[in-house]
Amino acid sequence: MILTVTLNPTLDKFYWVDALPLSLDQPEEAILIRATRSLTSAGGKGINVSTVLAAHGVETVALGFLAGHTGQIILQDLLSRGVTANFVWMPGENRTNVTVIAKGREYHPLLIHEEGPPVLEEALGIFLRKYERMVRRADYVVLGGAIPSGCPLDCYRTLVRIAHAAGARVVVHAGGEPLAHTIEEGPFLLKPDVRAELQLGGMPVGTAEEIVRAGKKVVEQGVGVCLISHHVTGDILVTRDGVWEFEARVPLTTFKNLVGADDALVGGLLVALLRGEGLVEAVRYGMAAAVATAEVEEKLCLDEAAIRRELAHVAVRQRGDG
Amino acid sequence: MKAYEFMRRDLTSVELETTVVHVIYLLHQSGLDSLPVVDEDGRVVGIISERDLIRALLPGYVDMLQSTAFLPSLDQLGRKLHEIGGKPIAEFMVREVIAARPDDSDLHLADLLIRKGLKQIPVLDDENRLVGVVRRIDLLHRLRR
Repeated sequence: MILTVTLNPTLDKFYWVDALPLSLDQPEEAILIRATRSLTSAGGKGINVSTVLAAHGVETVALGFLAGHTGQIILQDLLSRGVTANFVWMPGENRTNVTVIAKGREYHPLLIHEEGPPVLEEALGIFLRKYERMVRRADYVVLGGAIPSGCPLDCYRTLVRIAHAAGARVVVHAGGEPLAHTIEEGPFLLKPDVRAELQLGGMPVGTAEEIVRAGKKVVEQGVGVCLISHHVTGDILVTRDGVWEFEARVPLTTFKNLVGADDALVGGLLVALLRGEGLVEAVRYGMAAAVATAEVEEKLCLDEAAIRRELAHVAVRQRGDG
Repeated sequence: MKAYEFMRRDLTSVELETTVVHVIYLLHQSGLDSLPVVDEDGRVVGIISERDLIRALLPGYVDMLQSTAFLPSLDQLGRKLHEIGGKPIAEFMVREVIAARPDDSDLHLADLLIRKGLKQIPVLDDENRLVGVVRRIDLLHRLRR
């Protein structure tokens, strides 16, 4: 079983529009933008990973905090997708993240992200006890996304420690300080979110060389492997045994929605690992899942046949400096 | 069809020490009629339902007379709730758990629900850990297809 943790779940709302105004700044009248299509789905990194896993028939349990009417919608959506849900209910309202995608500008959408409700001490205590019980049944744990207010910034480190004590492997799919705190616990895989800051553990990751240097450093510090996005269609895998560069050879013009691509990568990678694939081949499958996801309007591509078709477009080579 | 094929995979549950007021909050939030109570190993050791909570709030004579006609007002229930709201749910739960297994058939589940007059049944694995819930409405919804 794979346990995923999403401390700050979201209801993802997507709108497709023909065009966005050139500037939203200082309008002289109200701006009306008509959507040609819209979609709503449960989200947050861990939840998205669980959705991919469930679609592949992998047993997965999603943990985190739900609140209010939005929380009810998130729960119903997850259950309808075959994900087992074990959330802590708390006062407030889960956040809604809005993505507005204009024709021809698919990889520069307009994003409006809410903050999410603060987690109360009592709810955090209930969550930790629930996590301790569930982690004993898990082969892998995925810690995904931002830390909501009320949770300590180093809480992922605590969760990694508990998972290791229970014998589970941990994937940390987050960014900034919450991810950096986990390095010393030596999780199985780090998938840093470098959208906000191009750095890992204080080291820059802007170029391929910087990624390799930072990846090697965290692996030396005890992390199993490190997988970092280099650009839209490229990822670099750093392990003790070498460094591999993955490249999806697809034109960027085929991409329709990039929001869930990184989560599809992590989900696909875990699916392949559970099927007994080696790490490099598993990352290839993850990349194929990410590309297939980027090529559909829905947040995630859950069609295994479509993912398999993309495998042919994902090239991998071992780097000489690995 | 087997229970695991149509059960609701919602593992919302409470612990033995969870307070009465928190259980009421959770029942309201989840829209469920009852909640499994789990021990520290995650095994289901009891069930707490709306009915059990109402019974705990009603004066003893109501149970004896089997009628609420002698109840002067709801204020009495409010006062009682204030009194027991902070108590652990272990004091009020039903310890005899009527549960299903993932491989139980829909017919067996329908029989259990009707015969025992239940709105929902927890589905437990071999170690009595919660893996899902089957509600009456889940069976009806399935029959509708």
